[in-house]
Amino acid sequence: MSYQQAKYDEPLISEMSSLNDYKLPSYLSESKMLIPEGLKRKSLKLPEVAEYDVVRHFTRLSQMNYSVDQGIYPLGSCTMKFNPKFADKLSSFPGLTSGHPLEDETTIQGYLKIMYELQEYLKEISDMDAITLQPRAGAHGEFTGVLIIRNYLKDIGELEKRREIIIPDSAHGTNPASASMGGFDVVEIPSGKDGTVDLDALKFALTEKTAALMITNPNTLGIFEHNIVEIARLVHENGSLLYYDGANLNAIMGVTSPGKMGFDVVHFNLHKTFGTPHGGGGPGAGPIAVKKFLKEFLPVPTVSKNEKNYFLDYSAKKTIGKVGSYYGSFNTMLRAWSYIKYMGGNGLKSASERAVLNSNYLAKKLSERFEIPYEKLKKHEFVLSTENTGKRALDLAKFLIDNGIHAPTIYFPLIVHEAMMIEPTESASKKDLDVFAEILVSGLELSQDEISKLPKNLAVGRVDEVKAARDMKITWSL
Amino acid sequence: MMSNNEESEMMKLLGIRDIDDLFADVPEGIKGKIIRIPNGISEDELIGEANLISHLNRNHEYYNFLGNGIYDRIIPSSVDAIVGRSEFETSYTPYQAEISQGMLQSLFEYQSIVSDLTEMDMTNSSMYDGYSALGEAVRMAFRINGKKEVLIPANMYDDKVKVIESYTEGLDMKFVRYSLDHNRGYVNLDDIQEKMTDNTAAIVCELPNAYGILDENIPRIQEIKKDSVLISYYDPISLGSVIPPGQYGTDIAVSEGQQLGLHPNFGGPLLGLFSFKKEHVRRSPGRIIGETLDTNGKRAFVMTLQTREQHIRRAKATSNICTNQALMALTALTYLSIVGKNGLKKIADATVSASSNLKNQMIKHNLIDPNTVTGVPFSDVLVSFKKQQNGLQQQLAKKMILGGLEMSRLINKKYDSINNAHFFSVTERTTKEHIGKLIDTLEVL
Repeated sequence: MSYQQAKYDEPLISEMSSLNDYKLPSYLSESKMLIPEGLKRKSLKLPEVAEYDVVRHFTRLSQMNYSVDQGIYPLGSCTMKFNPKFADKLSSFPGLTSGHPLEDETTIQGYLKIMYELQEYLKEISDMDAITLQPRAGAHGEFTGVLIIRNYLKDIGELEKRREIIIPDSAHGTNPASASMGGFDVVEIPSGKDGTVDLDALKFALTEKTAALMITNPNTLGIFEHNIVEIARLVHENGSLLYYDGANLNAIMGVTSPGKMGFDVVHFNLHKTFGTPHGGGGPGAGPIAVKKFLKEFLPVPTVSKNEKNYFLDYSAKKTIGKVGSYYGSFNTMLRAWSYIKYMGGNGLKSASERAVLNSNYLAKKLSERFEIPYEKLKKHEFVLSTENTGKRALDLAKFLIDNGIHAPTIYFPLIVHEAMMIEPTESASKKDLDVFAEILVSGLELSQDEISKLPKNLAVGRVDEVKAARDMKITWSL
Repeated sequence: MMSNNEESEMMKLLGIRDIDDLFADVPEGIKGKIIRIPNGISEDELIGEANLISHLNRNHEYYNFLGNGIYDRIIPSSVDAIVGRSEFETSYTPYQAEISQGMLQSLFEYQSIVSDLTEMDMTNSSMYDGYSALGEAVRMAFRINGKKEVLIPANMYDDKVKVIESYTEGLDMKFVRYSLDHNRGYVNLDDIQEKMTDNTAAIVCELPNAYGILDENIPRIQEIKKDSVLISYYDPISLGSVIPPGQYGTDIAVSEGQQLGLHPNFGGPLLGLFSFKKEHVRRSPGRIIGETLDTNGKRAFVMTLQTREQHIRRAKATSNICTNQALMALTALTYLSIVGKNGLKKIADATVSASSNLKNQMIKHNLIDPNTVTGVPFSDVLVSFKKQQNGLQQQLAKKMILGGLEMSRLINKKYDSINNAHFFSVTERTTKEHIGKLIDTLEVL
């Protein structure tokens, strides 16, 4: 059954008006007005709405929003797998949600235990030596990793000359953005004929100026970088570091690991690989793991253990400092911890295997009608081009959502024309994949005129993005 | 390993006999990873184990005087109910606008409500947390005027400074501290003026300031800021009764939004609020939702101004933000909608009233120096004890009281210090009985 969306003409909350009936405790004293005269606020504009109307408003809005709980969500590089409900349950225990980050260590041993265990699990999965859970998203992790690389190079006296980070043209946009935020110049290298890193291009780009190479493996085409060992050797022989963008980790758990492949710095997306919900855009969590020689550069604190207790460990001697407040997104860590415990080492491997099976199966089915560049085994995702069908990826995406299935990522990676980047994840049955393929293929039957008028079954028709950018109406007041 | 029917059918289509054939492209030398994590357990066992671990934490019946950024405030049950709806919780960033109008409209409303709350022109659709939002604000100031010196208060929390330093490490910016007086606990305007140069990119101010004080000098910074960027770090709850950053010449207003309906969660997930003047929008970081029309002329919402963002602009993006804190933005929106303007004012007034009560009680019981930092505190009450208190926080924890954080745990002694200074924080949940219990306990320690 595909999803059917509610179609309300839902007003903005600012356009609603009813008696605000929210009750605060009667002990609240309002009598004393202690605020200095010059700092008193004279007027405040906030919605005046009854609680029941607020709930109805957002319930209606929720009914105009697609989610993993309503069907498959095959956005490439996003790993929209099922988010287990037990994680919702235990991540709302008062004993695991009410803790303050500045409490004395004696009253927070449970939080620290969860963090410690998660650190150990992630190190084991990745074959890395040390880890921080502080970054709050994948890109935040990338930035942290770049700062670790920067501080390491400074420490060995090479930062002055090593000013460049090499990134393949198929990389996630966050990679060049993070490298640039960390003060490095980005050198982009083209992908080779088979869609993987072109070793000659890499050799040419690697110079005494190279600080690091940032790649993801499997790459954004869903292809395993089979030359990874050689790549790692070239990078390391050049005195540079190798960064692993963990967005695609769901393809390889229990098969290989970033550590085995030779990476020095790795980030994880707990909200992808480890089943924590994406929240309509966040919260995520982007832990960073490193090889031993970078341990002292990790942000502080990490969680360590002595004979008696878990403790917040500030001992890293060359720490980059901090990248965010406190220790990271604990509630997200807790969910990931529960996912890993539930799955176990064997279950994680099965998840990766099924994700890869689903991806290859769907690719095979769709290859009958669509061009799938780079004749290779796929990992957890694959990229097709709609160019040979005469249809635009955008139109087919709108056709899919009009039929109650979320569209894949489109127009990415940039190296494939009219790209659709499809990641079914392990949370899709054969039936789901068959239906997806069938619907996508049926979209080819529509005339250009018909398809460009879609969607029509959703809360709104096709939105005018150009007008949004031109008129720039981004609050209700302006 | 796999055996069910659908999987064998799928493998048949692919012409493979073993799932391992799908990993034939992984070179032998790096293949054969065994994950040494015990086999999976059932949901019931898992919940049991989590429950046991939760008992290693304190139970939640403590008297809570911890704050300084994260607060134990009342959260309406409706907030949890709305935010817990899986249509929101399990959705992705709204790339396909037409099927994601619920989240898009919610984020547009969030941007609007925070803009109204702060009286700033515009607000993005969320940042990771208050500290990183401040780091991004300083980067944005550099994009605005290309200058490299930033004036920050001497008493800014050390962790906050560390985060800004990380965010600007690639820009090679210089931080100059301006002082505060220890009598009222106000920023020293003369010192700001003295430290301004032609290369001053931004002045960062905080209201309440890092002593927790409602500092009457903050609105006067605009008189001396010249063409530098004024970055204001505010307390969103205080805005129920305190003038908003938009009223004192702020260019970029940032804050930690945890108080707006988020559980403390041991410090995360949090919410970075990020607002700015309209003229700076093209230099702003983060995702922004815009209003537009659909093909039928109906109001609709969509992610906009994406040419600033990493997936389009790559190395030249204004920020690397991709995943943000959308669900936390929804949380803040629902919180503000439910408490409404009268509720927020009541909460702010009750907070300032509780903090003054706490401080007065401590003075009355002769525990603290009444002449140190005499300004009106908002949530965080900074006190200078008459006698030295060693290990106060731990001692109080044994008496079921959280609080008494040493000032030096937050503020680097190198830049600012006050004798025997500790923080006690209050919210609208702090009753007279809580304060009485705290005073009684402090008297016998």
